[in-house]
Amino acid sequence: MQFQKEVEILAPREKVWQFIWDVDRFIACVPGCKEAKTIEPGKRYAATMVEKVGPFKVEFPTTIEVLEREELTRIKAQATGADNKIGSRMKLDLDVHLREEGDKTILSFVAGVDILGKLAALGHGIIKRKADQVLDEFAQAVKTKLEGDG
Amino acid sequence: MLRRFRLEEPESVAEAAELLGRFGESAKVYAGGTELLLAMKEGLVQYERLINVKKLTGLSDVTSADGAFVIGALCTHHQLENSPVLKDKLPALTKLEQNVANVRVRQVGTIGGNLCFAEPHADPGTLLIALGAKMIAEKASSKREIAAEDFFVDAYETALQADEVLTKIHIPVPVPNARSAYLKFGYLERPSVGVAVAFNLNGGVSGVKIAVGCAGPAPRRVAEAEALLEGKSKDEALRHVAEAGASAGRAAQAISDLHGSQEYKEHIVGVLLKRAFQSALS
Repeated sequence: MQFQKEVEILAPREKVWQFIWDVDRFIACVPGCKEAKTIEPGKRYAATMVEKVGPFKVEFPTTIEVLEREELTRIKAQATGADNKIGSRMKLDLDVHLREEGDKTILSFVAGVDILGKLAALGHGIIKRKADQVLDEFAQAVKTKLEGDG
Repeated sequence: MLRRFRLEEPESVAEAAELLGRFGESAKVYAGGTELLLAMKEGLVQYERLINVKKLTGLSDVTSADGAFVIGALCTHHQLENSPVLKDKLPALTKLEQNVANVRVRQVGTIGGNLCFAEPHADPGTLLIALGAKMIAEKASSKREIAAEDFFVDAYETALQADEVLTKIHIPVPVPNARSAYLKFGYLERPSVGVAVAFNLNGGVSGVKIAVGCAGPAPRRVAEAEALLEGKSKDEALRHVAEAGASAGRAAQAISDLHGSQEYKEHIVGVLLKRAFQSALS
């Protein structure tokens, strides 16, 4: 499943860039993400993703690896996790871009999400819709947080 | 494999609601079990307690009161497909029930369980919306009505509160010239699209209600399509039904999945609405 999102943030690019690397504040913008910790600064992080569709709940202990990094411009990362209780795996490929437009920063990202295992029984449509919602909420939360800081 | 759980056997709806309130998300109401137990065996959901409501009395009949048919939430699909009173007054519901899943599911699966599980590809909710049904939700000390069109919130999510039990479904007794139909289409075990239509035929077409299910996350009423047929003569309505179908398709919130692409489902909504309308007229 591929998703493409773009959000316009009324803040300088440096500020957005710094925000992305401030794990605690950044993680607070990812719906269902908790217990984030830095394993190797700038390279490896760990977090737990909790998502829910009706009565179905998944909890993915997730490892996030930063694959590429171009200062102030681009981050390529991969997150992988497995829920052994339900028997499902999740893989997220994330390509984030930042560009300046006047006094705004455009944060755009392409996310490739793969859900494997029993959770797939819920159906592709339902999972796709959920992932889309999560990414939208995330983009909106980043904007609110950064613009709210003044 | 089914993991261990405790089976609670309440003797009243109030007791069942109280147990739900007390144990929250670790407990679930258990009636027919045709969907819940499959999900539990697969390990997709896990509950410490199942609240067996099968033995509760007064929730397994079809009766009528105050101008409405009252269907007990514990009625099985088999009971409903064979109910003489429904066959006579609500043949569309009888036909729907005859075609729910398969004979094994119909024998033990309950209408209440079907509605509360809110599986997106289920049939009954769509027709109940078009028929203007109301769901009766009870707590330990209170009771409320939820319109069928407000009952389904999202995939697998209903408007029921954590400590509410669905006890009955009220369907207004159709007026003499009332017409209704439900049609579905699919090529997998569950339908890709289901469309229900209900209206009164008094010279013209009035009181039109159209609902679409299975295509999106939850069945929904499509007022945009209803408006295109409301108040029209029979011939005019037949001329507008394709337009209403296209409008219903767009409003159905169809999602692409194994059951078909969004565009395909939107198209099928139109085809089914036309056929359902024609079938209800004839």
